[in-house]
Amino acid sequence: MSFFTEGLNRLVGRGDAAITVPPMDGPFRANNIIEDAEVVTELSDGVDIAFDGSKLWLAQGNELSCLLPDGKRQICARFDGPLTAIAAVPNVGIAVAVNARNISIYNGKVESLGHRTPAGKPFYSITSISPASDGSLYVADASRKNRPDAWTRDLLEHGKTGRVCQVFTDSTLDKQLISGLRYVAGVMVADNGLWISESWAHQIVSVDLAAVKTQPAQITARLPAYAGRMTATSDGGAWVCMFSARRRLVELVLRERRFRRLMMQEVDPRYWIAPMLSSGNSFQEPLQGGNVKSMGISKPWAPPRSYGLVVRLDPLGQPLYSLHSRTDGRHHGIVSAVEAYGALYMLSKGANLLLKVRLSEIEEHFL
Amino acid sequence: MTGDTIIELRNASKRYGGVPAVENISFDLKRGEVHGLVGENGAGKSTLTKMIAGVVLLSEGELWVEGRKVDISNPHEASKLGVAMVFQETSLVPTMTVAQNLHLGNEKFFNRLRGVYIAAQQFLQSLNFDVDPTHLVSQLGAAKKQMVEIARAVLQDAKVIIFDEPTATLTPEEKLHFFNLVDVLKARGVAIIFISHALEEALQISDRITVLRDGRHVITDITPALDHASIVRAMVGRDLKDSIYAEKKLDARKPGKRLLCVQDLRVAPVVRNTSFSVFSGQVTGVFGLIGSGRTETFKVVAGLIKRDFFHGGEIMLNDRPVRYRTPAAAVLDKVAYITEDRKLEGFFETMSIGRNIYMGTLATAHDKGVLTSKSVENTLGRKWVDRLSVRAISANAKIIELSGGNQQKVVIAKSLAQNPDLIIFDEPTHGVDVGAIDEIHQLINDLADEGKAVVVISSYLPEIMSLSDRILVCRQGKVVDEFDCAEATNDLIMYASVH
Repeated sequence: MSFFTEGLNRLVGRGDAAITVPPMDGPFRANNIIEDAEVVTELSDGVDIAFDGSKLWLAQGNELSCLLPDGKRQICARFDGPLTAIAAVPNVGIAVAVNARNISIYNGKVESLGHRTPAGKPFYSITSISPASDGSLYVADASRKNRPDAWTRDLLEHGKTGRVCQVFTDSTLDKQLISGLRYVAGVMVADNGLWISESWAHQIVSVDLAAVKTQPAQITARLPAYAGRMTATSDGGAWVCMFSARRRLVELVLRERRFRRLMMQEVDPRYWIAPMLSSGNSFQEPLQGGNVKSMGISKPWAPPRSYGLVVRLDPLGQPLYSLHSRTDGRHHGIVSAVEAYGALYMLSKGANLLLKVRLSEIEEHFL
Repeated sequence: MTGDTIIELRNASKRYGGVPAVENISFDLKRGEVHGLVGENGAGKSTLTKMIAGVVLLSEGELWVEGRKVDISNPHEASKLGVAMVFQETSLVPTMTVAQNLHLGNEKFFNRLRGVYIAAQQFLQSLNFDVDPTHLVSQLGAAKKQMVEIARAVLQDAKVIIFDEPTATLTPEEKLHFFNLVDVLKARGVAIIFISHALEEALQISDRITVLRDGRHVITDITPALDHASIVRAMVGRDLKDSIYAEKKLDARKPGKRLLCVQDLRVAPVVRNTSFSVFSGQVTGVFGLIGSGRTETFKVVAGLIKRDFFHGGEIMLNDRPVRYRTPAAAVLDKVAYITEDRKLEGFFETMSIGRNIYMGTLATAHDKGVLTSKSVENTLGRKWVDRLSVRAISANAKIIELSGGNQQKVVIAKSLAQNPDLIIFDEPTHGVDVGAIDEIHQLINDLADEGKAVVVISSYLPEIMSLSDRILVCRQGKVVDEFDCAEATNDLIMYASVH
């Protein structure tokens, strides 16, 4: 885009300067399913969940645990750093990302895969792991600049250093499949290729694993929220966790370079004008004094910063329906969702809760 | 002729080129009565009333007004006899203001414009019509034009007022005002002929009802002696289902790809930061009161009007931002808009069916020739006349000779010939008879089943409920609510549209 066109767009509010957000309608139409979901257990520092066909696994802080039928947790392993992602690998065990840099396998005992450096670069921000049919692992290295807990900074810096790599458990012939992505928060092996959620690009792309050159193809674009981890469903579709919703205010801030720089320098990250996993916890959060005039009455209002959203995709990647915890809810910041025991388990990092909704209830609601 | 009979037609016939539009009809209208006139499109209702209003001349028969045989040769003579007609398609002067249109015919040598506006304002308010008298008629939507047309007829202090589909574009609230107005006129002794396809309305306000079929009189009786089923039977000569519209839809089609995404669209002062999506393979119903900005929103999508220059929002078609300066550009992108005002914007009335449909294809990518082709025109005409069951002598028949429902089918054919992916129907069954409504609805459903994205803007809640897979409700210039077809009810939709 030429300097002239960009200047004109900024002046009249078109193109990138339009500062608009796709509406949450159709398959994204709001409901309260996540807000009304059953609370299974409290899970402070919860990071990720996975299901291996018999057990539901939980990553929490430095611990890997599994959920017992009575709802209690049994700690299975402790690691020397915080976990950032887990995945159930058939016939191998549970793959665990430790410190966002290393991968270990748990199958009764912990076995580290060592220091891996696909394309000569070590991992820096592992956010998601998906097992391939050949036993290898597809690993989402979200950003080369910011750690997983600094994802808001990566967004505000317009980070595009994400990559997806293939890691072999039985060899070190790792390879980098694709790089230069705008934050890879999720990766999933689907029937028609490898699905990658590119959070800051608000899209999910697919990579044909059989192709010699891995060119990503868009399967769902212009999402109204930031796409995160994905898990497969039995019909070939997927559940996508949208860890926060897009807002026009944030879109505006993302266009204001100087404002962002000053904000990141001077303001506590908790109070940035940026999407969050939970909000409403402090009066110091931005714009609490905002108000909106509706039907002639001034009402106190603050632009929402967090949201709870999980989207169901069909096998082609088209959204079918979605589950919500709306702005006035608490079950925000859903970072992981898996089908297990006839229910959808969701990890709300915003509320530090493990939630559950029966699949039959979801079907009844939408089908 | 009894003393209270104000109008009487005896054995009246009207032929166009030997083809009878009405044949041997006898009809009478009593002082202070509301006489419902119903029938399918092409039944002869409009022709019959036009004969009374002096718009067309009788080929045979007699017209008696207040016990006197008269020969009315133009509307002015009818007006002098106290007969006024509110046409289905408005006959206002578009370049004049509302007040000037109301004042038309009563001009003095010197006219004080301020007085004209004040009088118009007071008069419109007395009728509970929310129309600004200073607005140009060309800037008004179809419903407001209809209100002005009604107001003009009332203002003429006529003894007989003929309303041809007066409620077609009115909202439920405005209809209520209109029915109250009819009661007031009736109490004053004004005789009213009420033509409507909404049988419930005819049954509600008429004292007597006459049914026509194929240009012939079928039945006239007092309203209590008739019911919905007997009228429909008389209209079509067979039993139809009870309701004009199909049952409320319960199973929605699954949404396909998001074809259209409108984000924070603004067209001051009508459309205010509206956002919504339209999906392939679904019928998206759009409901809203007059002035809610629904038509303007979709006119921007189709390139008929432009959004605000500064911060006018975004329109994404197939995930690609678009900004059409002309409708032709939208047609090239496979977007079709089927207007609510077919007479003004929908067709060329002196051209044939085939030529009108051919005109629709001229903007498409596959027809970039300099010369027009008569054979292509004829082929297209025949194809769409057959496909949409347009009732005409041939594809060479002029549009003006067709009934409202068949004209609407041609307007639809003109757009469908462009092979669009997104089809926007604005009031698709406005002024269309029972049989044609069914056919047009079937067509809309077929289009959605084919995978097209279909938008239906309608003031008729039953129509919205029977067609839509999802329903968007507009209020004050933006989409404020969305309903799935299964959960939508009249109350929910109306509540969303007014609160």
